[in-house]
Amino acid sequence: MEYFLDINKEQEQLKTNLMTMNMGPQHPATHGVLRVEIKTDSEVVAQAIPHLGYLHRCMEKHCEHLDFRGVIPFCDRMDYLAAMNMEWGYCLTVEKLLGTEVPARAQYIRTIVAEMQRIASHLMFFGTYAIDLGAFTPFLYAFQDREFILRIFEELSGARLLYNYIWLGGVWNDINDDQLHRISNWIEEMEENMKKYHALVGENKIFIERTANVGVIDKDMAFDYGATGPILRGSGVDWDLRKTRPYGIYEKFDFNTVVGKGEKGRVGDCWDRYYVRVFEIFESLKILRQCLEGIEAGPVIGKVSKIVKPAPAEIFLRTECPRGELGYHLITDGSKKPYRLKVKSSCFTHVSMLPDIGPGQLIADFVASIGSIDIVLGEVDR
Amino acid sequence: MHNEVAAFLNSSVSGSQATAVIAELGDSTVFVDSSKIFEVCKALRHSQWDFNVLQVITGCDYPDRIEVSYILASYTHNHELILKTKLPRTNPELESVVSIWKAANFQERECYDMLGVVFKNHPDLRRILCPDDWQGFPLRKDYVVQEKYLDMTVNPAHKINSGDFFFYKEVQQKMGDPKKVTFSWKGSGDDSETAEA
Amino acid sequence: MSTHHTPEHLHSHLEDTLTVGKWFQNIWDAIRSTYKGMMITFRYVWGVKPVTIEYPEVREVLPDNSRSRLFNDVDNCISCMQCADACPVDCIYITAVRRDKEAPAIKTDDGTPLKLDLKQYTIDTALCCYCGLCTEACPTECLTHTTDFEYSQYTLSQMKYNYLAPDIRAWKHRIVK
Repeated sequence: MEYFLDINKEQEQLKTNLMTMNMGPQHPATHGVLRVEIKTDSEVVAQAIPHLGYLHRCMEKHCEHLDFRGVIPFCDRMDYLAAMNMEWGYCLTVEKLLGTEVPARAQYIRTIVAEMQRIASHLMFFGTYAIDLGAFTPFLYAFQDREFILRIFEELSGARLLYNYIWLGGVWNDINDDQLHRISNWIEEMEENMKKYHALVGENKIFIERTANVGVIDKDMAFDYGATGPILRGSGVDWDLRKTRPYGIYEKFDFNTVVGKGEKGRVGDCWDRYYVRVFEIFESLKILRQCLEGIEAGPVIGKVSKIVKPAPAEIFLRTECPRGELGYHLITDGSKKPYRLKVKSSCFTHVSMLPDIGPGQLIADFVASIGSIDIVLGEVDR
Repeated sequence: MHNEVAAFLNSSVSGSQATAVIAELGDSTVFVDSSKIFEVCKALRHSQWDFNVLQVITGCDYPDRIEVSYILASYTHNHELILKTKLPRTNPELESVVSIWKAANFQERECYDMLGVVFKNHPDLRRILCPDDWQGFPLRKDYVVQEKYLDMTVNPAHKINSGDFFFYKEVQQKMGDPKKVTFSWKGSGDDSETAEA
Repeated sequence: MSTHHTPEHLHSHLEDTLTVGKWFQNIWDAIRSTYKGMMITFRYVWGVKPVTIEYPEVREVLPDNSRSRLFNDVDNCISCMQCADACPVDCIYITAVRRDKEAPAIKTDDGTPLKLDLKQYTIDTALCCYCGLCTEACPTECLTHTTDFEYSQYTLSQMKYNYLAPDIRAWKHRIVK
């Protein structure tokens, strides 16, 4: 802890046998432009200071000049690997203020799309985490499975990565039966493939040696830092917003919360966070199956007036995104544009944990810890 | 819940002047006095509501004040609370709550970076998203971006397409009657305010 | 470093004492898990067809509603400015002049009489974020997304498309939509 709080200049000059290194903004393992200034004592990290802001686009200021519909393309550029979840959170926030009724079919389509996006995001984590640790094969397996998801999204919305698909009141385009049929075939294939991939990576002795007991985040530390999502569940806390504060139609579905149990090491280590994410894919497939059975016919967008003008109010709403809980704090003043839109991004709070889990680890373990937190710099910097 | 929280704060922290604002649309909030924010947060952390997680510290700039919101949550009892304080626009200062929740470290740095709110007793208060030597506080409503940063022009004319944006001015000059020319007014140029017509 | 004290919970692995039995168990676990992994990957050597598309000989067919390059059919444009209003990044620049009442009446393809003469319709495709809000807003559907994705240029200024220029107007005949 003393490393975290004691960064004054005098003491810095006395520590002459620490080498300062830059895990610089251009680095294959930092998942974006994150600069971590590491002071190392031979191979052991003594201090790790993250420097952010390389991808800062000041989205919050920009949104003050856009109307409510124009904010949606900006929302999905934050966490670009989980764009549907970002849009859904924003649309829920504004719809709560407007009081619009979202039709049932749109709710089902939103859930299908959000769960597929969760699977795509966790597959990306799976591939890039393996490649951080040096295993090149699972990356391509994960991306091949992700291709199907991106292709379905391209047919639905027109774009592969940044969709602008979930609109105020519903979704943009309808989904047809042929696409639903292809999704249900893919679910069976995906389940088989994920079991193979988990046997290839998660049960592998080398992977276990690299990730078990590394970067342990216990429950109190997770609460203190405000960690959410797979990090909190990996530390043993049974908290999933889809079950504890359900939004949309999640109450109708039957699925489990995956909680880290410390199977291979301590509770809250990197293997537990990997385990939570991989097994969340299986739970998402369960939800998808139930969605496909229960989807109703009807319109896909509700009635929203041409010019969106919510009454002056203040609201904070959070949704469960693949990387944590994303919250939107919206203050409106009755005009066409939001007065203040603040995005509470989970990855921003997770990066603040790096100075605390870094010290005492080898540099290779530090790389494994950063990878297991699964940050996307678009969300950290907004 | 907000009325009980306000009553609890008024009884346990003297001078907090906690008032609950119950809203019909959106979320209700609790306002407290800015000089007592540290004691209020400490009391809430160890109260029966057990607000063990600080989610976000945001600020909003109004013409006469800056309102800083602390959004707390309890993951053991499943509720959340928005706590707000009002600060003057000149020299806004608050006590840092880093010793209560470690999550406050980066959140307060961002609030300082974007709005200029100074947090006393913060271990490392410097800009986090903007570069360290940036001038001005971007999320204030009267913010004008600086012209040059380290001898790079911030908004060079060719990059923001000012030639295309102001093409209508040339057309207006050529035509006899400038009112006959309509144009797309959007953008952060000087014309955007009158564009609502 | 004498002041180097890491808290207990941050000590890395290798904490349990290593017995001889544990050592052999580790070797057996490693062999077994590696064998299982190799069985999975070997299947991909002979059993799976390659999924790479050999671009540029083979091109992928994008779905019809793909949001790629924009095209505006200026003969049908009524200069309503809705697209420029809807654009979140302000990449559409439009200037139009009101037509005199004496000028000959021209109509769009679906019969709406044109009241404004379009003098400038430029889209900066380098700024454009391909969100599709402008095509949704267009009432006559003259502004559409095409499925062209191969249009990189050497300089930024070549990315600004002036839709009134004759060479770009000629695209109308090769656009399928």
